[in-house]
Amino acid sequence: MPAERAGYTVTMFLVDVSPSMGAMRTVELPDGPNGEERSVEMTHLEWSLQFVKLKIQEMIFNGRKTDQCGVLIFGSEETDNIINEKSGGYEHVSEYIPIGQPNSGTLAKLDELRASETAGDPVDALIVGIETQDIYLEKKRTWTRKVVIVTDGESPIEIEDWEATVKKMAGLNIALTVVGVDFDDDELPYHEENKSTFKRTNEAFYAKLTSSLPDGLGLLGTLSYALLSLSHPHIKETKSALLQTTIRLGDVKTREAEAIEIGVKVAKCTSLARAGGWKRFAGRDGSGDVEDEEKVTFKELKRRTEYFIDRSSDGDASAEGKGKGKATQDTSMDLNEERDEDDESDAHQERVEKEQLVRGFKYGSTYVPCPDGQFEKLNTKKGIDICGFFQKKNFNRSYPMSELSYIYGSPSSAPDQLAFSSIVQAMYEKGVLAIARMVLRDGADPKMGVLSPVVWEKVDVLLWVQMPFADDVRHYTFPSLSTLISRSGERIAKHPYLPTEEQLEAMDKFVDAMDLMGAGEKDEDGSRIPWFDPRLSYNPCIHRTKQALFHAAVVPDIASHPLPPPNPELTKYFEPPRRVLKRARDALEECKDIFKVKEVPKRAPKARKDGHVYARDDDEDMILLDQKGPARKHPNTLAAASTSRALLSPSRAAGKKKAATSDDSETETEEEEEELLIPAKKPKGSVEPGLPTPTASPEPEIDPQRAPGRIIGNTYPLRDFRQNLSQGDVVTKAVEDLGVVVREIVGRPFASRRKDEMVECLQALREVCLKEDEIDAWNAILKELKEECLTYSRNNEFWSELQKLGRSISLISSPEAKKLGGLSDISESAAEVFMQQ
Amino acid sequence: MPPFDDWNVIDDEEDEELQDASFFEGKKDVILFCIDCSETMHELRDDPIYEDVKTSHLLTALDAAMQIQKKKVIVGPNDSVGIVLFNTTRPSEAKDRTSEIKKNAFVYQPIAPISAPTIQELIRLIDEARGDPEILRTAFPPIQGKKMPMGDVFTSCNWVLRDGAPKTASKRVFLITDDDNPHPNSKQLLTSSRTTLVDLTQSGAQVEPFFISTEEKLFDPTKFYSSILPSNNFGDDDAEDSGILPDSISITRTDDLLSQMRFHEVPKRALFSIPFELGKGFVIGVKGYGLITEQKKGSYKYFVDLGDRMEVADSRTVYLDEDQQAEVDRHKIVFGGKLGAVPAGDVSEEEDEVSMTASRTVQAGHRPFYTAEEIRSFRTLDLEPGLKLLGFKDKSELAFEDNIKHSLFVYPDDMKYSGSKRSFSALLQKMLEKDKIGLVLALVRRNATPVFCAMVPQAETVEDGGWSEPAGFHLVFLPFADDIRAAPIDEALRASEDVKDAARAWIDKLCVKNGAYPPDSYPNPALAYHNAQLQASAFREEFDAESFEDLTRPKYDMIHKRAGPLLKEWKKALMKDENINNVIATTGSKRKADVSVDEAEIRSKYDSGTLGKLRVDQLKVCPSHIPSSFVYRSSCSVLFFSSGFPQEQRPANSW
Repeated sequence: MPAERAGYTVTMFLVDVSPSMGAMRTVELPDGPNGEERSVEMTHLEWSLQFVKLKIQEMIFNGRKTDQCGVLIFGSEETDNIINEKSGGYEHVSEYIPIGQPNSGTLAKLDELRASETAGDPVDALIVGIETQDIYLEKKRTWTRKVVIVTDGESPIEIEDWEATVKKMAGLNIALTVVGVDFDDDELPYHEENKSTFKRTNEAFYAKLTSSLPDGLGLLGTLSYALLSLSHPHIKETKSALLQTTIRLGDVKTREAEAIEIGVKVAKCTSLARAGGWKRFAGRDGSGDVEDEEKVTFKELKRRTEYFIDRSSDGDASAEGKGKGKATQDTSMDLNEERDEDDESDAHQERVEKEQLVRGFKYGSTYVPCPDGQFEKLNTKKGIDICGFFQKKNFNRSYPMSELSYIYGSPSSAPDQLAFSSIVQAMYEKGVLAIARMVLRDGADPKMGVLSPVVWEKVDVLLWVQMPFADDVRHYTFPSLSTLISRSGERIAKHPYLPTEEQLEAMDKFVDAMDLMGAGEKDEDGSRIPWFDPRLSYNPCIHRTKQALFHAAVVPDIASHPLPPPNPELTKYFEPPRRVLKRARDALEECKDIFKVKEVPKRAPKARKDGHVYARDDDEDMILLDQKGPARKHPNTLAAASTSRALLSPSRAAGKKKAATSDDSETETEEEEEELLIPAKKPKGSVEPGLPTPTASPEPEIDPQRAPGRIIGNTYPLRDFRQNLSQGDVVTKAVEDLGVVVREIVGRPFASRRKDEMVECLQALREVCLKEDEIDAWNAILKELKEECLTYSRNNEFWSELQKLGRSISLISSPEAKKLGGLSDISESAAEVFMQQ
Repeated sequence: MPPFDDWNVIDDEEDEELQDASFFEGKKDVILFCIDCSETMHELRDDPIYEDVKTSHLLTALDAAMQIQKKKVIVGPNDSVGIVLFNTTRPSEAKDRTSEIKKNAFVYQPIAPISAPTIQELIRLIDEARGDPEILRTAFPPIQGKKMPMGDVFTSCNWVLRDGAPKTASKRVFLITDDDNPHPNSKQLLTSSRTTLVDLTQSGAQVEPFFISTEEKLFDPTKFYSSILPSNNFGDDDAEDSGILPDSISITRTDDLLSQMRFHEVPKRALFSIPFELGKGFVIGVKGYGLITEQKKGSYKYFVDLGDRMEVADSRTVYLDEDQQAEVDRHKIVFGGKLGAVPAGDVSEEEDEVSMTASRTVQAGHRPFYTAEEIRSFRTLDLEPGLKLLGFKDKSELAFEDNIKHSLFVYPDDMKYSGSKRSFSALLQKMLEKDKIGLVLALVRRNATPVFCAMVPQAETVEDGGWSEPAGFHLVFLPFADDIRAAPIDEALRASEDVKDAARAWIDKLCVKNGAYPPDSYPNPALAYHNAQLQASAFREEFDAESFEDLTRPKYDMIHKRAGPLLKEWKKALMKDENINNVIATTGSKRKADVSVDEAEIRSKYDSGTLGKLRVDQLKVCPSHIPSSFVYRSSCSVLFFSSGFPQEQRPANSW
C-alpha cells in the first residue's frame, strides 16, 4: 500500500496573504525565568507561518527526498501561476516556492512574506494548487497528495464551482486541511467574539468543503489547536523488516528424519529509539565584510578524528599514559574542565597521521598485530537452534538483555506455519520457554536467548530475547540485608540496618497505599485499570528534543522566542496519580516518622588517622592519601576505590580527564569535588591531619575535620555528640564515632592540649553508653583506647590521666549494667583491675 | 540515508549503556596474589579431578592466579598483577627495583602490567610442578616452625604495591591461606596484624581473603581473621565498623578457588549513586550496578611503530569550520537541527559566498541555536539524577515483551542517607511478601534521559558453597511507545490439536525439570574464540582451531536420544493436518487488516485480560472503534485530530 510508505508525498501549502493577515495579535509565550508572563506581538500571517514552517521543518528533519512541498500564496499583488499563464484568470495567486525537497532556505523565504494590499480567493488558489501538484506528479501517480490552506477567512470567496473541485480532489485522492486563524472550535473550545459576517460565512463554507470530501480526506481546524497538536508526541512508525531464517531442533545434517527445520521470519518487536538530529554549529561574524556587520552566520561544523601519541610518558613505562588518552576520546558535554587539561597535555602530544597507524590488540602490555581488525571468526550457520525447554515460572526477569523480536512461521509455506504453530501452542499449553541459540547470518557471532510462546487471535508467535552468556554476568557480592553476624559469630537481631516490626508494619501500609493496579482510567464497566501503560508512554527526551529542534529552525532567536514547555503528554507519568498520593499521605508520613532517614551532610574528606606514616614518606602519594583517610572508615570503599583512583593520579591532568569523561553520577561528582582540593594541598609534608581543607560543598557549617561517614567531627566532638543525641535514633553511631574521634585525637602529637576536653568527652560518652544500653560499645572503645595509648601512640600521659579517675571511667561491669537493665560480660573485679594496669 | 555516524556522535557520548569496559577503561585494577607457602600448602593431595595426579594447595593457588591473569588480560589489558609468596625461606632476589621486603616473603612476580611473557613463565612453572609436584617445594621452601607474622605479610604487600601499582588504580590483595590461626596465643602479633592491615587499607588496597578449608581441618575465621579484617570486607559498601563479622570466603574444595576468584576478578564498581525518592520527604540512597552487561570483544587499537616498540595512538575528535579549516573552540559550539539539502538553484538566498557548508545567517546578537547546557535540559527534562517511586503493580504486569536492554541492580547506600538500609530492606520484604513490582521514574546520571523502569525485588538466596543471589532490586527498563513495533503478521495457519499434542510429547522430553536458563553453562563462544586467538598470537603459538569447543551448540545426542522417535511421530501428525497442502497467496493482503480491530474484539481481549496482545497500531485506531475511556482520551483525540494533518502518521486506510 503506497499510502503507508513514508515520504512519496507532495504537500501544497496555500498561504493567505490578504491584507487582513497583516493584523497584529498577541501570542503568549512560556513564562519567563521568574514566572513573569511573557508575550510577543506578531501578525496573523507570521503566526500562521509558524504552522507552515513547523510542518516543513518536519520534512527537513526526516530528510526524505520524496517528501516534498510547494508554497502558493493568494492575495498577492502580482499573479504568477500556471493556469493564469495558460488561460488567464486566477489572479492574485502566485507560486511562491516551487515544489521540491525543502531546506532551511525554504523557511527563510517564508519569513520574507508580508501581507499584501489585495485580497485573494482561496478556491482559486486551491484549484491552482491541485493543478500545479498534478502536473508535477504526472509521472508519479502513486504519490500521496496533500493540500493545506492557511487563512484567516476574512476575504471573499467565490464558491460557485466548489462541488466540481471536491470531485476533482476526491478523484485524485487529495487530502485537504484547512487551518484557520481564530476559527471556532468546539473541542478546544474556542469561539471568536465579534466574528465578521464574512468570516462566519467562510468558516461555514470551509466546514462544508472539508466534510464533502470522502473518507475523512478533509479536515478543518483552528490554528491554535493545530500548533498545539504539533507539540504532541508523534511516534515515527517504523515497519519492522521480516528477515528469513530457520528454526532447528536436533541434528538436521545427519539425523534429518528425527530433526526439525522450519522456515521462519524474524522482525523487531521492541527497538530502542533515540533522540538525535543535533548538528554542531559555530557562529561567525560577517567575516570582514562591512555590509554584513549586522549579521552573524552560523556554519555547520565537520567532525574530524585526530590521532596522537603521548610522548610525555616516554621511558616512564607507558602504563600511565594510556588511560589518559582514552579519556580524551569521549568528548564530554561538560566542556569546561576538559579544555584546561587539553591545554596542559597538548604539550606532550604528537600528532600522527592515520596512514602511519596499524591495527592490533593489546594483550596486557604485549602488542598483538591484527591488520584486519578482527581475528578469524567462528564458523556458524544462520538459524535458530533450540537447545531445550524450561518452565516459564523459573524465568529470571533480570536476565533479558536486548530488544525483542517476533518470530513467525514462514508466511509462504503451509507446512512451516503449521509446524511452527504446533510448537508454539504446545509450549504455551505447557507453560515453557525454549532456550535457543541464534545466528543472524552465516558466520555471525551466536547469541543465546529464550523463546516465549504467544498465542494471538489468529496467529502463533514466538518472542525472542537475548540472555546473558557466562561472561556477561557479574557476580558481585553484597552484604546480606537480613542476616548480620557479630564478630563473635552470633547473629545480630537488632541493628540500625535491620527494620523493626514497627517499621515493617509502616512499610506494609505504604506499599498497599501506593498500589497502582486500580489507579488508572476507568474502563467501560466503570472499574479502574492499572495506571501506566508503556504503549502510551512517550520517550520525553525524543519528543522534547524534536520540539526544540523544530523550534530553533522556525524562530530567529532563542532568547526572544523561548521554547514552549514540553507537551503535558510527555510528563504525564512523572508523578504518581494524584488519587494515589492522597491515599498514601498518612502511610507516607508514618514511614517518614518511623524510618527516620536522614541525609548525611556532605563531608570534607577525612583527615588521616595517624600521622606517623609521614615520617617515612612524604611524596605526593602520601599527601594525597591524606585526603582519603582509611578506607575502612570511608563512606564506602566503592566510592573510595574510585575516589582514590582519581585522587592518586600522577598528574592533575589525568585525574581531571577522568572526571570529565566519566558519567555524571554522584559518585563521579564527588570525585570532581575532591579533586578540586588537591591544589590546596600544596604545603607538602604538612603533618597536621586536620588541615582545614576547603570544601567544595556549599554547606559552611560542616566541620572540616569531620571524617566521611561520621557524624562527629574532630573539632567540637562533644558538641556534635550532644547534638546528635538530641536528635535521637543515631545513638549507636554517635557513640561509635565519638569513640573513634577520641582515639584519633589522643593518638596524635600534641594531644595533651586537648587532654581535659577528651576526658570530658569520655565521661559524657560513658554516661550515655550506660543509659542507652551501649555498654558493649563503651567497653570496646575503652579497650581500644587503652591499647592506643599504651601500644601505638605511647600517649601514656593520657592514660595516667584517666587512671586518676579510676573506677568511675573504667569498663562497665555486669552489676553496674544490671542496675539499668543492661548486660555486660565484664566482672566488677575486672573493671577495677582494668584501670590499674 | 542520513549521514549516520555524524549525528550519532552525541549519542555515543552520552550513551546510557555503561559497558564496564568503556566506562572503566581509564581506571586500572591491580591484583596482588598473596599466597601462603607454608608446609600445609605444599602438602600433596589427590587431585580432585584427575586420578593418580597429585596437587597441592599452593599449586592450585598458583594455577588460579594464572587463570585470573589470563582472564584479566583480556578484560582489562591495562591492569597489573603481582604475586607474593609468604612463609617461605627463599630469599629475596635483588632485582633492579628491589623492594624492601620482610623476611620469609618472596616476590615471585612484581606488580607489572600483565604481559604474555610473565604469564607464560607462570604457566611453565605450573606445568613443571604438575609433572613433579616437589618442584614447588624446592623453589619455595616452606618455613619451618613459627609462621611469619601476618603483620609482616601485610607490610610486604603494602611495599610491593607501593612500588609497582599505578597510583590511580584500584588495588586489591587476594590473600590465599589455609591457616586460620597463624599466631595462637600471641595478642601482640594479632594487634600488629590488625594495624598493618589498617595501613594497607589506608593506602588504598583492599584485602580479599580466600580461606582454604579442608575436611580434616575446617577454616574458622573467628579464630584470628575476623578480628583483624575490616567488616564487610566484600560488601565493601560501608566498611563501617559496626561489630559485624567480615564476610570472608571459605573454600572447602580447592577447585572452588578459581571460581570464587572469578567472582572477584572484576572489582565491584557502582555505576551510579543516587537518591531514591519513595515519597515526598522520604528519600533513601541507592547505588546501581550492572550485573548483566554484555562482555564484548576488545576493540582493536591503532598502533604507531616507534622503532623500538609499538605505542597505542590515542584519538580525539575535533570540530572544524570547513571554510576556514580551523578547529572551533568547544565553548563556541552551538547545536541546531540539520539545515536540509544545500539549496539548489533559485531557492537559495543571496549567499555571500559559495560554500558547501550549510549555514544560517541571522541578525547579530541573535542565536537560533542551543548551547550544550540547553541540549542537556532537553534530554533530562530538567530532572535531577535519582529514582522516583511512582507506585506498585502486580508482578504479572511486567510482560515478557517489556524489555529493551539489560537490567541494572540497585542496593541501598547508608552513607548518603542514614537509614537507607532498613527502609530498603523493609520495602523489599514487603514487596516480596505481596508479590509486587515497583514502577519508578529513573534518571541514573546527569546526562542520561528519563526512563521508566519496573523494579523487580530479588530475595536473598544462599547456595551452598556457590554464588548467592544478593537482596536488592532489579531495574528493568520499560520500552516507550516509541520503542514498540507493531506486529507485522497477524494471521497464519494454525496447527490442529493432534499436531500440537505430538509436539507436546517431545517438548515434555526436552524440558529441564525445575531448570532455568543457565548462563554459566554458556560461555560466549565468539568471545572465547577471539580471545584464544589473541592469546595464541601473544604467546607466539599456533592457534589450534580444532581444539576449540563451542559449548553453546545444542547437545544433539541428548536431543535425539530423548526425543528422536517422538519427533518422527510429530512429523507424521503434521503431514496429516488438513491444511498441510494449502497454497498460500503471497500477495500481501494482510497489511490493511493490520489495524482493523473491532470493538468486540478489544472488549473480549480486555475481559480476558489479554489486551496486551493488541498492538500499538491497533490501539491507536481506538477513537473510531472503542469508547475513549478505554485508552486515554486526550491522546486518542489528539491523535485523531492530527491524523488529518499532512504527516506520515495516520491510520493506514484513511487515504
